Amino acid sequence: MIRVENLRKSFETKSETVHAIDGVSFEVAAGEMVTLLGPSGCGKTTTLRCVAGLERPTGGRIVVGDQAVVNMDKGLFVPPHLRNLGMVFQSYAIWPHMTVFENVAYALEGRKIAKADAKKLTMEALETVQLAGHADRPAPRLSGGQQQRVAIARAIVGKPQALLFDEPLSNLDAKLRVEMRTELRRLQKQIGLTSIYVTHDQAEALAISDWIIVMKDGKIVERGRPTQIYRYPENVFTAQFIGTTNLIPGTVTSVDGEQVGVETAHGAFVGIDKTKRVRAGDKVVLSIRPEDLIAGGNGSNKLEGRLDFAIFAGAAVEAEIACGDLKLFCLMGRDAPMTPGVPVNLSFAGDAAVVLPRE
Amino acid sequence: MTTVEPTGGYAKPSRLGGVLRAWTTGWDWRRVVLVALVLMLVYQVIVPFGMIAWTSFKTARPGDPAFLSLDFTLANYVRAFAQPRFWAATWNTLAFSFASTILAFAIGAFLAWAIERTNTPLARLIGILLIGRIIIPGILITISWILIASPNIGILNHLGLALFGVRNIFNVYSFWGMVWVHSIEMVPLTYLLLAAAFQAMDPSLEEASTMTGAGIWRTFRRISMPLALPAAGAALLLLFITTIETFEVPLLMGGRAGIRVYATEIFFNTSRTPTDWGISATYAMAMTVMSIALLVFYFRLIRHSERYQTVTGKGYRPRRIDLGRWKWLTCGLALFLVFLITGVPFLMMLYVSFLPVYLPPSIRAFESMSLENYRTLFSDPAEALIPMWNSTLLGLGTATVTVLVVAAIAYYVHKTKVPGRKALDFLAFSSIALPSVVLGAAFLWFYLLVPLPIIGTLTIIGLAYLTKYMPFALRFVSSSMVQIHSELEEAAQVAGVPWWKNFLFIFLPLLKPGLLAAWFWVMVHAYRELTVALMLARSQNRTASVVIYYLWENGSFMQLSAFGVLIFILLIALVTLSHWIGKRYGVKEQY
Repeated sequence: MIRVENLRKSFETKSETVHAIDGVSFEVAAGEMVTLLGPSGCGKTTTLRCVAGLERPTGGRIVVGDQAVVNMDKGLFVPPHLRNLGMVFQSYAIWPHMTVFENVAYALEGRKIAKADAKKLTMEALETVQLAGHADRPAPRLSGGQQQRVAIARAIVGKPQALLFDEPLSNLDAKLRVEMRTELRRLQKQIGLTSIYVTHDQAEALAISDWIIVMKDGKIVERGRPTQIYRYPENVFTAQFIGTTNLIPGTVTSVDGEQVGVETAHGAFVGIDKTKRVRAGDKVVLSIRPEDLIAGGNGSNKLEGRLDFAIFAGAAVEAEIACGDLKLFCLMGRDAPMTPGVPVNLSFAGDAAVVLPRE
Repeated sequence: MTTVEPTGGYAKPSRLGGVLRAWTTGWDWRRVVLVALVLMLVYQVIVPFGMIAWTSFKTARPGDPAFLSLDFTLANYVRAFAQPRFWAATWNTLAFSFASTILAFAIGAFLAWAIERTNTPLARLIGILLIGRIIIPGILITISWILIASPNIGILNHLGLALFGVRNIFNVYSFWGMVWVHSIEMVPLTYLLLAAAFQAMDPSLEEASTMTGAGIWRTFRRISMPLALPAAGAALLLLFITTIETFEVPLLMGGRAGIRVYATEIFFNTSRTPTDWGISATYAMAMTVMSIALLVFYFRLIRHSERYQTVTGKGYRPRRIDLGRWKWLTCGLALFLVFLITGVPFLMMLYVSFLPVYLPPSIRAFESMSLENYRTLFSDPAEALIPMWNSTLLGLGTATVTVLVVAAIAYYVHKTKVPGRKALDFLAFSSIALPSVVLGAAFLWFYLLVPLPIIGTLTIIGLAYLTKYMPFALRFVSSSMVQIHSELEEAAQVAGVPWWKNFLFIFLPLLKPGLLAAWFWVMVHAYRELTVALMLARSQNRTASVVIYYLWENGSFMQLSAFGVLIFILLIALVTLSHWIGKRYGVKEQY
């Protein structure tokens, strides 16, 4: 279990004070994987490094397991090497002067473990990441993906309280990245380690996490399960940052429980507001995912437009539909006509259009 | 229209065959320039090497018809090896180099660590002052330390006498005195070498160690130190090579200390009449062989260290060690060292330059101060102004010519596939193995033989400087040339632009940072150079450093100091001006 409370970190520059982290609080339950997701400069990596102890926060408390590691009010700051955490770095940080085995075994050196036991634990960790056959290789001779596995083995071999991942897959090529994230997820479930994962890649976050925390400008914008955060984002930033979305601005005309009527320049629509925040008369936007905009479907909301531009993407046709001055991005069946100018009738279900307060 | 055909892309049955075919099938200006470059390099680099080697196997002197005959002898070597003097010089060279290297490394490593890796206050300022020292000519640094710690006249010894009643606590004319002065002189170079290594190190390698539960000490011992070892080893070797050929300290202090090294032996042997050519050449060969051996070792070490480069993504975030309260200690120590390195020579010179006769600091001394020395300097242009003008011309001229030549070489080596380009690279770089004093002797002897009337002109010094500074300039320019993606040139080629336009309008502008760095470096070093200039000095082509040496020989410390201050001001002006021009045209700072 990791608990972060009101974490702050600010830097003094010549002209002003920059708040890299501005009052961040969250909790990671035992055995769960929580992802900090956000654009670069949002404070996610700094938050992770504060948990690791590599960065000294300006204020706040951090508890790992049953040990308070940071309490800036009391001046408590446990140095990183006494926190018993495992960390995987973006640059792999594999020591080039050691073999694969030595890289992993190094993590056991500080503990009072008999040599034979240390060897056994190291080999077990290497087996977990399927690198047992490469134990005696010099570490720099490995490929990027293999180096990343060594980094993971090194992080888990000492049975840490928690695992921290700092954009671990961003240096891998696209295909390997997809493979590795599946494997990482499987591994994390298998060993059941409490983990914090930092990434700017929303697809990676959706695939790998139990919970996603979206950050922006040093603050937490939103948190939720991946499905929930994708289907029912609670603000425009999240809706746009995670996945692709279409935004239609309008004004609330009626509210009936979660169902909200919205008047827009392109017609009156019904949307959904799970948070029950909006009131009649509020300025809002409707957020509709491209896959929920169905050509010729029978959803309750209907729109007429013309095909502006389309590309064939294998599994689907990605199309841009012009409805007046509004451009909508949607996914159509792979047999859909692709001639520009063709009239297209779109529809979407009421619970696929999320009503969000305008920012 | 210009046809653009890939050169050198032919099937090669053998290396030589391929080269020959590629050379005979096409004829364009690119090859003409290449041939010119190769010939120039052979003349500038191979001829001096050959001159020394040839002379060392001859008993006849240059000018004697027998000198050009093909009968060689080992007589010079037999004679040199039989002299205890030769072995003393060998031992002194090695011992002096070894001790200076270790001391300079220790001080430089501390400064580089404090400035680059910790939160020591004033780190940036300390770094700038340290690098700024590079522009002070070495001979002035040596002289200022002699004025500080020599027996009888040294300020420290006066203080010792006044405070403790002990006579001559320090004697700079000793092995350790020489080691101290030369080490202090090499610290800025050490700092530059190690700072680059520290900046290139990925801090997450150390952080990963910390995360596994290792404390600061174990991380240092098991991770930081082994990782820094190749860079440290390379720096140590480079310092050692630099010290072997160092000249100022042995020249000014070695005589009274009774410590003669190769460099001074060669200098005194060649400047004495009648010159013992054979012995001089033999010493020069010994020195060159030593330097080549170390260089071979150095290059093997660097190649090995490439294995230590790890794949990394975005740039490293600067991570500095928080020293807590200790940071004031490191700051104080660093400031003290910078004071010794940069402050002492300058203040010493400034002080002495106002005195009519040399006096240790006292009320009487300060009362006697005047601008008389400066007035004397300006009264006779041959004394100060002409040498200063000579140095300025040499600095600007050498820097410009060297950078242009080196840019052309780097272009061929890295951006074309013309056969023979590897030879170009090797030729341009190999002169690094020629110690300055050997280079000076080789140029002198060669032009005594060849009927070209350039002895006693600035041209001969400039030619020698071209050979001396080419390898260094090549390093700056090559590293920025490599960074320019070939696609940029290919794009221009596809657009039908001829190669020379490519070079002028694509490469030169993109290379500007590397070119300017090289230009700066050569300009400053050529300005302050002493060894080659002294070997080739006649009355008409004295440079500023040479004049300082002659003033020293005459015992005119006061005029010499005034001259030193003037040089210092002039160099600062030159560097500031060039820096301003560089900035104006969009070149980022190198350090």
